[in-house]
Order: sequence, then C-alpha cells, then structure tokens
Amino acid sequence: MAYQLYRNTTLGNSLQESLDELIQTQQITPQLALQVLLQFDKAINTALANRVRNRVNFKGSLNTYRFCDNVWTFVLNDVEFREVTDLVKVDKVKIVLPHSSTTA
Amino acid sequence: MSNQLNLPQPKLYRSVIEDVINEVRELFLDEGVDEQVLMELKTLWENKLMQSKAVEGFNTEEQAALQAAAQQQAQQAQQATQQAQTQQVLLPPQQQAPQQQVIVQDPKILQHMSATGMNAATTAATLALPTGISPYQQLITSQGQILQVLRAANGTQYIIQPQQQMVLQQQVLPQMQPGGGQAPVIQQVLAPLQGGLPQQTGVIIQPQQVILTGNNVQQNAQVQGGAAPGGPQQQQQIQQQVQQVQQVQGGAAPGVPQQQQQPPMMLQVDGAGDTSSEDEDEEEEYDEEEDEEKEKDGEDGQVEEEPLNSEDDVSDEEDQELFDTENVVVCQYDKIHRSKNKWKFHLKDGIMNLNGRDYVFSKAIGDAEW
Repeated sequence: MAYQLYRNTTLGNSLQESLDELIQTQQITPQLALQVLLQFDKAINTALANRVRNRVNFKGSLNTYRFCDNVWTFVLNDVEFREVTDLVKVDKVKIVLPHSSTTA
Repeated sequence: MSNQLNLPQPKLYRSVIEDVINEVRELFLDEGVDEQVLMELKTLWENKLMQSKAVEGFNTEEQAALQAAAQQQAQQAQQATQQAQTQQVLLPPQQQAPQQQVIVQDPKILQHMSATGMNAATTAATLALPTGISPYQQLITSQGQILQVLRAANGTQYIIQPQQQMVLQQQVLPQMQPGGGQAPVIQQVLAPLQGGLPQQTGVIIQPQQVILTGNNVQQNAQVQGGAAPGGPQQQQQIQQQVQQVQQVQGGAAPGVPQQQQQPPMMLQVDGAGDTSSEDEDEEEEYDEEEDEEKEKDGEDGQVEEEPLNSEDDVSDEEDQELFDTENVVVCQYDKIHRSKNKWKFHLKDGIMNLNGRDYVFSKAIGDAEW
C-alpha cells in the first residue's frame, strides 16, 4: 500500500488542487479524483524509490519530536541541509515520516 | 547558489507527472471522461507547479501541444496575422523577462492566437501587451483553446482569452469571464499599458468597472487596421456579453479594484500578503508541538511567527524572497536513533520543501540535539 504521505508536497498539493477544480466544474467525479490520487501515490512512491539517487546530510537541533499513529514528526531548528553540491539553511523544518514496516 | 541544488528535479517531477497522467488516463476513459479533461488536469497541475516556483522547467509537452495547436489553426485569419506580425516582432524582444522561457514561443503563441479566428483587434490586444507583460503560460482549456496567461512586470497575472472561451478552467482568473467574447478579456492589463494600445475591441474590464470600449476600439488604428469590418457585429455580441458580465460584476466591482491587483493572477491564500491567516494555521500546528512555549508566550507565540519570516535570512535572500514556507520534509526512514539527547536520523526517499523550493533525496543522514 503506497503511502499517502506524499500528497502534502508541492507535487501532491498541486495535483489535489487541480483535481478539486475539475470537480468544481463538474468535469470529473470525486470518485475519479480519488482514484487519481491513489494512482499518484503509487507513482510517486515508485518514482522516489527508483528515480532518485542523491544523498543529503543535515545537521541541526531538535526542537520537538513526536511519534504518534506510527508517524514520526520532528521539528528541527537551525538546520543545515548539505548536499554534495550545495547547502541550504533553514530556520525551522518539519520532518514527517511514517513508520515503515518494510524499511530495509 | 542553492538554486542549483538537485538539478534533475524538474525532470523527475516531469516524469512523475507523465506517469501519473498516463496511468489515470485509463481511469478517465473508464469513467467516460473526455481526454480533454485529462489534459486540463495536467495543465493545471503543471501550472501550479510552475507557480509554486518549487520546480523549474517548462514542460516540453506543453510546448509541443502548443505548436501543434498553432499549426492547426494557422490556416485561419491570415489577415489578422499580418497586422499581428508587426506587433509580434516587438513582443519577443521585450519579453526577455528571465522568468519564463516561453519567450521563444511568443511568436507561435501570437500566431496561434491571431490565427484562431480572432479579429485583428483581439490579436492586437494580445500583442499590445508587450509593455512589461511577458507571456507566462499557455493553458489549454477544455475546448482545446489556448489561453495565454500573461504575467505583467509587476507580478500580476492576467489571462487573455483568445477566443470565446470561457471559462474558467483557469485558476488564475476566477472572475470576469464573459461567457465568450470574441475579444480578449484583458483585465487591468490595458490600464498600465496605456501607451497607445489600450483600446481594444470587445470587453475591457478595468479595475473599477467593466467598460465596453467597442466604440473607441476600432479607431485606434495602430493595431486595429483590419478589424473594422468585423467590428460592429462583434461589438454587439460583446456588448451583450459585457452586460451580462457587468451584471455579474456589479457587485464585485467595488471590491474588484482593491483586489484587482492581486487576485486576478492567483488567489494566494498563502504568501506574503496573507500572513495573518497563516499565523493561525501555523499556530494550530504549533499548539500541538509547542504547547509549553505557546502557553507561556501566548500572543508572543504569534508574534514570533512573523519575525520568523524575517529571521529566515540566515544565509540567503532566498529565505526572504519566498513566502513563509514551513519547510517540510516528507520521507521514509531507515533508522532513527537516540542516545540521551542526541538523535540520529537515517532517512530515505524524501521530498523536501525548503525555503519554498523542492528538493529530493534518496538518502539523508542527520544529527540533531534535543
């Protein structure tokens, strides 16, 4: 079962918004929109697993951590995300990750 | 700078979009939904991605579709194109705005638009935008017509409807869509333009009110030269439509001028202009996570939200220029480890949105101290 985790990303949100608009103009049914989202979940999960091959390191301070409903949520402050090529600094970042029973 | 982080990004997103679209195509057909709708979904999706600035790149398919459409309709209204072409030449050089690489397509867009049976006036109107307006995107509506979303220099966006269309498949301009004037609906565009272009045939919806300038239109020869013959008839139609629009807009007009500056382009719920609601949203989230701090700080907590934005310029201006994005990372994890107050994260397959930009990783390792 693919995670619906990625629906709250730029990609996922824009898809949902687009679907909502189409629903409002009655061009598709909500049912169909749901199907699309499920399909999106699958596709994004597959794509991420197969198409992405880069590493990131990050360092920061942990502000909050939560593990609820099998989902970890962390709030970090003053984090540096470092990739081979470049560096991104953020003041605050939220990390959301579902517990994966199949993590290897 | 950080802009270059994860260059393959757009390609990845593109491929994901393609995959999803292809996979849902069957679903759409099963439901008896037209392929057009699917294309529209795709267009909307991509536009939002573009607007979010989280991903760069322009979809090649869109370009291809645009070209195809342009070719198909290139057979029409050649007279209009003659007039238009002179203007077209002006446009591309002026459109060198770095924002969109659509520049290359300007001539095609224009040709297309002019060729789609619009009268010269509408074409001219479209072309008349050059001053500070760069074509932003082309959107393919359900009817296969191509809307051109123009982006003015000041950042506002307008939609030009080359044809009768309608409607609002457009997420950008929720208002003011005359059921389908033959003339382009240019909101507010003409106001800043003024440099002699402004009056076009058909409906010109200015910020304050819907104004039918049909009478004036034709006389402005510079663009309109060949439009005269078709003018009167169109005006009548346009008038009818405009009236309808006016009625609709009657109530909206007062509120329009104030909003015109911003809403036409995009109803930004989030963004620099709307921190208050954001604060509320964020506050809700923070209440869960930072209960202690919130209770103590109370209102201070809210105040901290706004300064947070300004405090974001830890390193780059990027932190400032983008909206108040709560940087989020969604991913899966391999291992999460803690020793006393030292946390170690081994993450995988994640999408990050940092400072408004999207990044992706297959693996991430992090350290944090609590």
